[in-house]
Amino acid sequence: MTTPNVPIEPRKGDAHTYDVPPTVLDASGEVHVGLTLDAVRPPSEEEILRVDNLTVEFPTEDGVVRAVRGVSYSLREREVLGIVGESGSGKSVSSLAVMGLLPKNARVRGQILFRGDDMLKMSPRKQRGLRGRKIAMVFQDPMTALNPVHTIGDQLAEAVLAHELMPRKTALARAREMLDLVGIPQAESRLRSYPHEFSGGMRQRAMIAMAVINNPDIIIADEPTTALDVTVQAQILEKLLEVKDAVNAAIVLITHDLGVIAGMAHRVLVMYAGRPVEIGDTDPVFEEPRMPYTAGLLGSIPSLENSGTRLRPIKGTPPSLINLPTGCPFSPRCPLADDKCRTAEPELTETDSGGHFAACHHWDRLAAVEDPTVFFRTESETMA
Amino acid sequence: MIVFIARRLVISFFVLLAATFIIFVLTALSGDPLEDLRQDNSPNKDLKIADRVDRMQLDVPIPIRYLGWLGRLVRGELGVNRDGQDVAPLLGHALSATLQLVLVATVMAIIVGIVIGIVSSLRQYSGFDYSVTFAAFICFSLPIFWIAVMLKQYMAIEFNNWLKDPGIPPTVIGVLALLGGLIFGALTAGDRRRRLIAFAVGAAITGALFTLLSVTHWFADPGFGLPLIVAISAAAAVGFTVLSAGLRQRGPLYAALGATLVGALASQVLGPLLANPTWLEILGFALVTVAICVGLGYGLGGIQRRQAITASVLTGLFTGALIFVDRMLQAFNSYSQAVRGRPISTIGARTPNFVGDFWQTNLDSAGHLLLPSMALILVSLATYTRYSRASMLEVMNQDYVRTARAKGLPERSVVVKHAFRNGLIPVTTLMAFDFAGVIGGAVVTENVFGWQGMGNLFIKGLKEVDPAPVMAFFIVTGTAIVVFNMIADILYAYLDPRIRLS
Amino acid sequence: MTLNAQASVPDTASDSQGMAIVARTQGQMVRRRFFRHRAALAGMILFGFVIILAFSSIGFAGIPGWWGKNYLDTGALTNQGRPTLSLIPEFLGGTGLHLGEHPFGQDDIGIDYFALTMRGAQQSITIAFVVGIVATFFGTIVGAVAGYFRGRLEAVLMRLTDVMITIPVLIIAAVVGRMMGDSGALVLGLFLGLVTWPTLSRLVRGEFLSLREKEFVEAARAIGTPPRRIIFRHILPNTIGVIIVSATLGIASAVLLESALSFLGLGIKPPDTSLGQLISEYRSAMVVRPWLFWWPGMFIIVIALSINFIGDGLRDAFDPRQTRVRA
Repeated sequence: MTTPNVPIEPRKGDAHTYDVPPTVLDASGEVHVGLTLDAVRPPSEEEILRVDNLTVEFPTEDGVVRAVRGVSYSLREREVLGIVGESGSGKSVSSLAVMGLLPKNARVRGQILFRGDDMLKMSPRKQRGLRGRKIAMVFQDPMTALNPVHTIGDQLAEAVLAHELMPRKTALARAREMLDLVGIPQAESRLRSYPHEFSGGMRQRAMIAMAVINNPDIIIADEPTTALDVTVQAQILEKLLEVKDAVNAAIVLITHDLGVIAGMAHRVLVMYAGRPVEIGDTDPVFEEPRMPYTAGLLGSIPSLENSGTRLRPIKGTPPSLINLPTGCPFSPRCPLADDKCRTAEPELTETDSGGHFAACHHWDRLAAVEDPTVFFRTESETMA
Repeated sequence: MIVFIARRLVISFFVLLAATFIIFVLTALSGDPLEDLRQDNSPNKDLKIADRVDRMQLDVPIPIRYLGWLGRLVRGELGVNRDGQDVAPLLGHALSATLQLVLVATVMAIIVGIVIGIVSSLRQYSGFDYSVTFAAFICFSLPIFWIAVMLKQYMAIEFNNWLKDPGIPPTVIGVLALLGGLIFGALTAGDRRRRLIAFAVGAAITGALFTLLSVTHWFADPGFGLPLIVAISAAAAVGFTVLSAGLRQRGPLYAALGATLVGALASQVLGPLLANPTWLEILGFALVTVAICVGLGYGLGGIQRRQAITASVLTGLFTGALIFVDRMLQAFNSYSQAVRGRPISTIGARTPNFVGDFWQTNLDSAGHLLLPSMALILVSLATYTRYSRASMLEVMNQDYVRTARAKGLPERSVVVKHAFRNGLIPVTTLMAFDFAGVIGGAVVTENVFGWQGMGNLFIKGLKEVDPAPVMAFFIVTGTAIVVFNMIADILYAYLDPRIRLS
Repeated sequence: MTLNAQASVPDTASDSQGMAIVARTQGQMVRRRFFRHRAALAGMILFGFVIILAFSSIGFAGIPGWWGKNYLDTGALTNQGRPTLSLIPEFLGGTGLHLGEHPFGQDDIGIDYFALTMRGAQQSITIAFVVGIVATFFGTIVGAVAGYFRGRLEAVLMRLTDVMITIPVLIIAAVVGRMMGDSGALVLGLFLGLVTWPTLSRLVRGEFLSLREKEFVEAARAIGTPPRRIIFRHILPNTIGVIIVSATLGIASAVLLESALSFLGLGIKPPDTSLGQLISEYRSAMVVRPWLFWWPGMFIIVIALSINFIGDGLRDAFDPRQTRVRA
């Protein structure tokens, strides 16, 4: 999937006009995802973001919460990188760190290089100049992410005016174009609406419009569809891909939905208890997971292929980030865990060529079986 | 919106009506209205009793009496008290003094309280925040009458004595400097070194200021003078510009500084007009100021026209207020001599038979208002501070504030545009509650400071089991509370579009 | 997240996994947070001390106390009634730590001022607690019923609340005080409580309005739980934090309300006394005999302040949203 089959001509023309493909409804009335990853322009080789050994800690009354422990990844121009994990795995915190939006008490270490500049060492003013202009963010809950007392137009125009001096009218005109781009009808009059007059899907579209209004290089989307109706989710994701193509941005897509990753990301990073446990191109990771946690995740989602067979959930809950177990943090829930796992935390190692890394002492055991989810067999299955 | 207000008005009217019934009945039941006469030993005792029974209709059931009172009220009569005096003229004298006191205290408490609360929330867990929190708790726990008696003793009597020879002893200057340093230090964010520097600078500035004031005997004949007015106003111009537009573009700054310049010129040119103006003229000046400043902002604002207008209007009004205060201070010396060197008054709402020009009479009311409003303000001030602090802290943690930061807005815009307005919404509901509390406090304060105000009317009426004055008091205060609630509601709807449309 | 009553069952699931999540019950967490609040703890100790001092020194309800004098006996003035209390130790040039004959001095007819102040504190504390309990009871009932049932009943109750709120508390309390001031602390407290409930009832109603839409109430209704049980067993336990905090702060303001009434001469009547009445009586003594003014004032402030601190601690304990996290 990393090498797209359909070459696409770069669009030409006025930088401020974007042509919008119509949303296609199939015969059954369901939303047909018209735009796929294969149809958008491929990533270039140029690296725009490199996160190196990022750690984030929060001191609390009960002890230090080690939310992110040594995350490294890189992002190429126009690439879509998916970050998956359960809640509390550090996926949101690590991306908030990239945005510089962590609370003041957070202790951040490591490097976040945007086109070679370390954002953690930048002056606050320079960092602010990147925020919203070069790196934009779409948040999880569009119900609360928009300010209820200002109009949509104001909030969009403000994003432009924060970085560029221009008359308000010009900024509002730009906002209107963006609402058009994300498919909000009657954009002109909608500029004067307040967020509570929008539906959830519309608000998320407005959020996306706000994110791309300054033609950013990177869009960080933090579970952009979790708070939305299932029927709207596909539309929003498609819209995200479409605007990404329009403004030539890369996307960091944070989600716990593996299905979304499969359809939308070039590469995927799996996180568990604040650490990356597996990273690689999406297809190889999903077809041949090298970390039992990834395998467990894959086994716990229903799909058409394995309909009829039982789901194989991962037992237990993620560990507390204040008091991590020694060894591999997944070992208490892992069917492959042995004494080694409970004493030594595995490092990320390259398991396959093509940049597939996993952090597991027993990745070769996963490689040896055809269906790695088999280790998560439920009791009834074992008995049968 | 009009429907919304009208609906509220109708409901409020009936609520107020029901409240008058409760107060009337309770007052009538609260004691024996003939108590003093029963112990009377004069020969015409029975006649007096019969007379009062007749006048107060003590022989008819209370609800009928209430209806009688209500009937007279509809005709615009407030009835007579038990001695046969008409209540309306009694109320007339009391009304303006009390409303003045209550309004001054409320407005001051709202403005100062919100500002302190916001600063305190933005500096959460700083020395300033802890001090404000602690001070607020002290204020919540102070009995208002106790503080009023204390103020009367220390702020009035001893301050007036001190004014006879207003030099400040070096030790006091030292303490004041220390305090100034502590405030500067506590307000500064950053590491220990920065805070120490801020402390030193603050202490030095405060110390120097008070030494200067002491040496020049400033308090004997206070005033700002043109250079100081220009300096303060220019500083305010920069401040308002930073808050509204930032300093990236020069336009708004020039507009605000222009307002300073116009203000300074006006204070010189308009000298004769300001010798003895009326309030109407002052209002006129304020309107002209706004008009000129809007023009300045429009002309010089460039692409940040809106923000420039805000900055210059605020600067203009601030400068105007500064000139006003300066004029008042200039009248201080002559006024002080006119009241035999006791400008801070402890009794009443104005000096009896005092005649003076506009500035002197206003100084006279200000001198009388100062201490009662200080006593009255403390509790409200603490309430507004705590409430707006909590509200701002909550708002600053909202997702939309994070969104605003994610857009790359400067922290100033995040606070002023996104947090402030949302933070004010719950504060408006507090206004309605607090105002009723201030009226209760005013009754106590008036008692301590010997005002012949509404509170006195109420207490006297209540002690004599005489509904007419009590009801007169309640009609006025109840209406004031309803009006204030209405203002709070309208403000709420203005701030929160979700309410406006439903 | 709702603080569901059922959530007080310790979550043992994570323990069995051998993981390091320590499960705590709701009550344990509230207690832990409260005792970490230093001001609240100090307030509690101080308030406890004042209660013990006030009620044990001169005795209460017929039980004699350890302080030899009472608040009614007059006596000869010694040293113009100056306080004999000395807190400055000898090595600092004072006369050493001792109480003396009249630690707080004497009033103008020679009554021991310590005994008077203690009596005043007793009265003020009693009234404040009665007001707090009565107002909390009625406020909770009215708020709960209005919030749960909605419809006409809510409209009637809330209009009643509106009417009561339109009248400033001090005004209605003054009228009640005029009526009941002679009947003693308990009755006065009871009647003051009957006019100060509306604030709490509004709060409780607000909580009920949002909680009644929650899934667990829906579930209870679905299995046919009677309304009374839903109100008291399902919703009320979730509002207990709001109620306790509000009741505590209500007690603090009742202390101030009572003292203001007595100050205006509309509360406790002589020869019995209260802290506010003492201040009112000796307000003009400020210059010549300031102790007559200072002692009752200090006691009001200490009582109100310590209860306010306790209330703040409880608020933090019940509402951990603003949990202190420090860098």
